[in-house]
This record gives sequence, C-alpha cells and structure tokens, in this order.
Amino acid sequence: MKRTLIAGSLVVLCVAILLADYAVANRQPFANRPAAEQKKVTAARLARKSRDNAVAWVLIAAAGAFLTFAKGQIKQPKPRAAGELRQAKAPGPHRSRTAAAAPELDLSFVEEMVSKIGRGKEAAIPLLQAIQNYYRYLPDDALRRLCELTDITPAEIAGTSSFYGRFRRSPMGEHIVRVCHGTACHVSGARQITEELRRFLAIPDGEDTDAARMFTLDEVACLGCCSLAPVLMVDGHTAGKLTPATACDALKVTA
Amino acid sequence: MILAVLALSLGAALSVLAQAIPYQRPVDTAPQANSIGGGYKVPAVQKPLPRDYWLQVLDVVALAAAMGVSVWLVLKRRSRKWLMALTIGSLAYFGFYREGCICPIGSLQNVVVALADPKYSIPMVVTATFVLPLVVALYFGRAFCGGVCALGAIQELVVLKPVQVPRRLDRALGLLKYVYLGLAILFAVKPALTRDFLICRFDPFVGFFRRNGAPHMLLLGGGFLVLGMFVGRPYCRYLCPYGGLLAWCTRLARRGVTITPNKELDCGLCSEACPYGAIEKMRAVRRNCLYCARCYASCPRERGVAS
Repeated sequence: MKRTLIAGSLVVLCVAILLADYAVANRQPFANRPAAEQKKVTAARLARKSRDNAVAWVLIAAAGAFLTFAKGQIKQPKPRAAGELRQAKAPGPHRSRTAAAAPELDLSFVEEMVSKIGRGKEAAIPLLQAIQNYYRYLPDDALRRLCELTDITPAEIAGTSSFYGRFRRSPMGEHIVRVCHGTACHVSGARQITEELRRFLAIPDGEDTDAARMFTLDEVACLGCCSLAPVLMVDGHTAGKLTPATACDALKVTA
Repeated sequence: MILAVLALSLGAALSVLAQAIPYQRPVDTAPQANSIGGGYKVPAVQKPLPRDYWLQVLDVVALAAAMGVSVWLVLKRRSRKWLMALTIGSLAYFGFYREGCICPIGSLQNVVVALADPKYSIPMVVTATFVLPLVVALYFGRAFCGGVCALGAIQELVVLKPVQVPRRLDRALGLLKYVYLGLAILFAVKPALTRDFLICRFDPFVGFFRRNGAPHMLLLGGGFLVLGMFVGRPYCRYLCPYGGLLAWCTRLARRGVTITPNKELDCGLCSEACPYGAIEKMRAVRRNCLYCARCYASCPRERGVAS
C-alpha cells in the first residue's frame, strides 16, 4: 500500500513538474528581444528540454512501479492450487485411522461386532453398517473376515454392499463435501459447482475422492436450505450462495 | 500453409533484394540556402541520414519474429507470463527505441496514398510492415495486437482493474474504429499538399515513446492510459483503424485463441478475466481477441499446461 502511494505520488509529482515547466516556458515569447537575451532564452529552453526528458524517464519508471505495486494490491481471481489447501492442514482426528488402515487393517473390531450382533444372514446389514461407521467404508479385508466369521456368503455381502447407495467400498477422504443437487441448487448451477470442485481437487472421472484422501465429494438430494442455493456442506459447515469461484474457498473451513 | 509461407518469404526476399539498390532523392521541397538568401547556411541537421537499409530490414524481421513468438506463446505454450515478457520487449524496441515508427497502423496511410497517387512510392519495408500482421491475422487472428504492437503493449501494461463494458455499448463504440479508418483513408487520398496523416497526427501514445510532443496530444495519451487502467485497451478496441482491418482478416482465420480446447468448460472465469469483452458464450471471438492470454492465466483447466 505504502509503495503504491509513493510511486503514485511520484507520478503525480512528475506530471506536475512537466506541466509547470510547460506553463512557465510559454510565458517567455521569443521574438523582439535583444540578442543576448535571446541567447539566454535559448539556453533556458535547451536546459528545459534535457530536464523534461529526465523527468519523463522518471515518470515512466514511477508509472511502471505504480502499476506493478497496484496490481499486487488488487486481488484478481487466480486459479487456485489444490496443493496449498492440503499443505496448510494439520493432521485431523481421522487421519491417523485412515492412514493406519491402508497397510494393515485392525480386524478385531469385526470379531467384536460379530459376537455382539450375531452370525446369521439377518445380521448382514447391521454388521455392514457397524463396519462402515468404524472404518468409514467397507474394506475388502474386513468383508473377507466377516465371511469367515459368519454364515453370510461372499455373494450376499457383495450384493448387499453394492445394492445400497450409502455403503461405500472405497476409502473415504478425511472430510466429506456434500454438494446439494436439489431442484433449487440444480437450477442455480450445482453441476458447475461440482465440476469446479472436481477440477480444484483434481478428482479423476468416475471417482469421488482426491488423491490425498482429504476430501470426498458427494452429490446429495437436498440440504434443506433452498434459499441459499447453490449449497454445499463440508462436514458440519454449510456454505451457500456459491459460485464456481467461491465454492473452492468453502473447503477452507476445514483447514 | 507451408507453401503459402514459402511463397511469401520468397516474394519478400526478392523484393527486399530489389530495394537494396541505393537511390538518391533530391531534397527540393524544403527551403534551400540560395532561396533563403542573406548568407544563410543550411545547418547539418537539416538532412538527417536515413536509417541503414539493413536495419530497416531488421525491423521487419523483428516484427515478423515477434508475431511468430506471439502466436507460439499464445497458441502452443499458452503462457501469459512469457507473453508479458514479449510485450515489454516489444514496447521497449518498437516503442521506446524505434519511437513508434514505423508501425503497421501508420503504414496503412502510406499504402493508401501509394495506391491512390502514382507519384508517391513507398519502400518495400513499409509494404511489408503493413502486410505482415494482416497475413498473420488471416491464419491465426490478431497476434500482432498481443505482445507486438507498441501502442497495444503500453495499454496492455496499464490495465489495472478493468470493468466489463456493457456488450451493446462495446459493439457501438467498436464501430468508431471503422469511422476513423474511413476518415484516415479520406484524408490520405487527398491531393499531395492537402493530404494529412490523421492516424500519425493523432497517435495518442507516440508522444510518450519520444518523450516529446504537442501538449494536448500528451494529455490525450495520458487520458487514454488513465482510462486504460479501468477500461481494457480503449484505443485498440474503439479507435485503432488497423485493428478494424485485422478484425476483418480474422474472419478467415483457421486458428485462434481457444480456451480449454478439448475439455468441458462452464465456470466462466475466463470471460470474467477478459478485459476486452472478447469471450462470448465461453468462446474467444477472434474478431475481438487481442491475444493477451489472460483467459489461460485465469483458467483452472490450464494448470499444468501453462507455466
């Protein structure tokens, strides 16, 4: 701010000097003077010319500096790099679990749940729900262990877990981003919001979680605040009246 | 395409060679020592030496090269950063070093006069300066306007916080340049002593390049630059007569600025970023696109492509 002001005032100063110089110089008519005085006027004019040239260069430099600084002041919409957001984050409460889940899964929870809920076919859905609540998705290893421990066949597990949309078989990101695709949000551009978020998080087509498993994108039917359309929810935080440009900023509440 | 380029370069080379033959032109229009009388001696500065011929050819080569680089940076490299470097370079060379002359915008008048007046001949350098940007526009759009034209460059660099000019006002003001083009031609084809080169006389920025000029023109130029901080390149869009010619040529252009050529585009950040109102319905309009590459710089899709 200070640099901009200094450069700006330098520009104004240079313009003022040039204008003043011009005004003063034109007050001296050349004709009808003694030769000595004419020589003096000529010398003054030549001096003015070189002086004004120097001032003009300073003016150009000052104008360049002013523009450079002022451009830094004005925030322009720039492509956001998803990396910045990720790096800024401290490890969340879930991270240790998801990170540990990848190499080797602690399957004692499955055994515990089977002993608590039961081994019959009727226990399939409660067991799957319990597993998903604990691991935040249905890990293949846990499902395999479930088949070993209970009477449920692998085919039934596969059928049930893929039939219900709320069961997920791939690891979930640390945060869930629910983008409303209800009627009001749809007409206000929910599709564009989703597209922009996918671009921002660099989520490949056909997937819903970014590579660092920080965010999972979910398209939901209605979040119940149509007056704020288009809306999204990041974990518990709701952000409304979004545009593609502001949607990505909404993810920062998690940072 | 390659054939056309070959034929063009061959033709240009031949005509350049033909021009290399030195010629003498007597300076008899200016008052001479004997017509003034009174023992007057013509000072040495009365006849400034013309610029060396090979330097003039170099200017044309520099113009062609700068346009080639501009096309490459915008269409292939898709980098605004490097285009800005080219813009500053062009401003320094064509603007401050060559002092805004010779420029294709002004050469328009020389060409018109040469066509209208059989006694008036122009060197090949001027013809080439006039034709080259038009040829480039025929193939790639207004590459000359972005990063090469000194008048465009100075306005490009002052763009600070551009507002979107309402579309209809933009269109209406855009017609002014054709009026200006018509006037410039009208004044140029007048008989020898009454003809006037309007474009050069009312060039708002040449005073800055020379750090010298009529005060009203300098003030006008300053006004254009201050206006240009908030309205992107007002002279180029609304007044530049050569821009009008280039806009006509771009109708035949095969290639031009394409925003995210093979991906879906719907966020509209590019049209917000375009200070020249050249993006309509998420597509760059070649007629108005001034090759500034701001749309790439603002595009989330271009990450990884542009640097």
